[in-house]
Amino acid sequence: MKLFKVAKREYLDRVRKKSFLIGTILGPLLMAGWILVPGLLMKNAPESRMVMAVVDLTRSLYAGFEASLDDTLSSGSKMFVLRNVAATEDQLDGVKKGLSAEVAAGAIEGYIVFPPDIVEKGTATYFGKKVSNIRTLERVENALNETVVAKRLAVQGLEYAKVTEMLKRVNVETVQVLKGGEKASGFEQAYLTSIIFIMILYMTILLWGIAVQRSIIEEKNNRVVEVLLSSLKPFDLMAGKIVGVGAVGLTQYAIWGIFAVGISSYALTSGQFTQYVSFDAVTIAFFVLFFVLGFLFYSTLFAGIGAICNTDQEAQQVQTPLVMCLAATFLIPLAVMQNPDGAFATVCSMIPFFAPMLMFMRINILMPPAWQIALSVVILSASIYIAGIVSAKIFRVGILMYGKRPDLREVFKWLRRA
Amino acid sequence: MLELFGITKRYDGITAVDALSLRIEPGGIFGLLGPNGAGKTTTIRMIMGVIEPDEGEVRIFGEPFSERIKDSIGYLPEERGLYRKMKILDHLVFLGEIKSVPAGVARARGKKWLERLDLGGWADKTVESLSKGMQQKVQFIATVLHEPKLVLLDEPFTGLDPINTGIFKDIIEELQQSGCAVVLSTHVMEQVEKLCKRICLINKGKKILEGPLADIKMQFGQNVVTLRFSGDPAYLERHPGVERVGTFGQELTVTLTAGTDTNLFLRHALEGGKVEKFEIGEMSLHDIFIAKVKSEGGEVHDEAIQGR
Repeated sequence: MKLFKVAKREYLDRVRKKSFLIGTILGPLLMAGWILVPGLLMKNAPESRMVMAVVDLTRSLYAGFEASLDDTLSSGSKMFVLRNVAATEDQLDGVKKGLSAEVAAGAIEGYIVFPPDIVEKGTATYFGKKVSNIRTLERVENALNETVVAKRLAVQGLEYAKVTEMLKRVNVETVQVLKGGEKASGFEQAYLTSIIFIMILYMTILLWGIAVQRSIIEEKNNRVVEVLLSSLKPFDLMAGKIVGVGAVGLTQYAIWGIFAVGISSYALTSGQFTQYVSFDAVTIAFFVLFFVLGFLFYSTLFAGIGAICNTDQEAQQVQTPLVMCLAATFLIPLAVMQNPDGAFATVCSMIPFFAPMLMFMRINILMPPAWQIALSVVILSASIYIAGIVSAKIFRVGILMYGKRPDLREVFKWLRRA
Repeated sequence: MLELFGITKRYDGITAVDALSLRIEPGGIFGLLGPNGAGKTTTIRMIMGVIEPDEGEVRIFGEPFSERIKDSIGYLPEERGLYRKMKILDHLVFLGEIKSVPAGVARARGKKWLERLDLGGWADKTVESLSKGMQQKVQFIATVLHEPKLVLLDEPFTGLDPINTGIFKDIIEELQQSGCAVVLSTHVMEQVEKLCKRICLINKGKKILEGPLADIKMQFGQNVVTLRFSGDPAYLERHPGVERVGTFGQELTVTLTAGTDTNLFLRHALEGGKVEKFEIGEMSLHDIFIAKVKSEGGEVHDEAIQGR
């Protein structure tokens, strides 16, 4: 089949390009960075001792405060080294001057002042050279908060530990009911997973669809196309390109998939990633299916646009409505989330322009009836077929037209005639 | 082998090719000649099935055009086109493969052809690293790599130096001898005068002359005189038998009306100045073209005629 010779050339040409290598490797690296770096930072950041003076004007909070700041460093020593500075309100200014000098000299990191009315007003002041280590300060704040609240409760005769026990939140777990089983998953989890996958679908369909378009314009400009058409059917050329580029997209997915498995097996042990994102073999299978269908549909239309344009700039104008259709998909997910089985979501997931992403999303959130998935796939496939015929006709006439870009009326004329 | 039945192609109201009928048989090179814009490329594209005629029919090897037939045709388009980033040999293999030649065979033949055209050391270089002339050689190899039975060459010699033009002519001659039908289209008529056995002259999409080159020359050549003359060319035109005087550098080409006695014309010329050369004989294809167009009341744009 000549179609596959074209696909093979297109595929090898692209896979050997440096830009493919960079895009494919950098993509997952960024992804990995995105997921792993915050975790690593959180783990490693506060690994330093904090020497701090405490001026407790109430004379009753220091013990509790010190007790709740009991964090240790990985070496086992205490993280917060506190020094209780006794002072009365009258002495405060003098004490502060002395402590500020110590901060300036670097003997202590900073000092905190508990005013006499802290229990009522709930405000303390920290003085430090650098106020940048937010996590450390947050820890200090939490400890102080705990101490003050415990104090207030004690005034009312209540015990802090008991009250927190009573105030414990109730969680509702969501379980997705599948045929033949249950799948536990959080709602946010499903939403996040869907959005991430939809983002990937959107970006890759757009990226590779436009790649098809650009490559057609390029061949038109360097006149290879005439040589090719003396050997091939226009359809074989167009379809070969689409298949070749699509295979590149799938290759990229495969590489990313391997990365993702590697990362998530690491992230699983650190227990962070899976909190937000979950996927399994079924999700992946549907993802690949809807990428293939979505890519075929959009890239066929992009190919038709490429055939009637002479430059990328020209094509950008013509492709705008199509890109808008693709982007419009992002306006719909919220409605789908609220009512994944509603009429709006159901209809939208049947429209070929939105189907690849929305049907995938619905599957991910609340498995729709099998007939709906089947119908969506059938409609999408039929649309690909029709888009293929229309684009091939435009392609056939347009590919050898140089000079003025035809307007819509002319394109329709070609369609009738071809 | 190749027949055109009244093919017509219109673009935006302009008729590029107007009811053209032709018959091309193997053996001998067929020249499709005419000035720029005469409709040669459009005709060839229709033969190749790259575009479809609005009217008429193309028959190749006795059957209507089909995709299968493309494998037996070699086409060198006027606008050369290759993938710039591809390696030469890989490119030839690809172009062979889409003509249904197995990759291994295409590779072996490609190497052989590259050697023959002095490109042996370039097989692994990219197309963009080649000069224009070299790229044209590669394109030419691609045209014949699949051993076609019909070859269409659109302006094959543009941009080639005399040595390579000679090599191309030799190869075209070989193709023809091996039984392949060769159609050669060009506006530089002198280039093909010695190569073509049959020709078809077209102008503004219409056939104005067709037949064996020898017959055409015979038919037109009897009443043309080439002379080097020191006097005023306008003086020569006063002779009643002179139809037209053309200037070509140092020489004048004088077309006489049929039946004019060349001796009487020579005498007339001698009276008007010094005659350094006087030759009765062949009219160049270019002159035949002009004469034919004029005799049919058509216009000839000098710019369009680049024969020298």
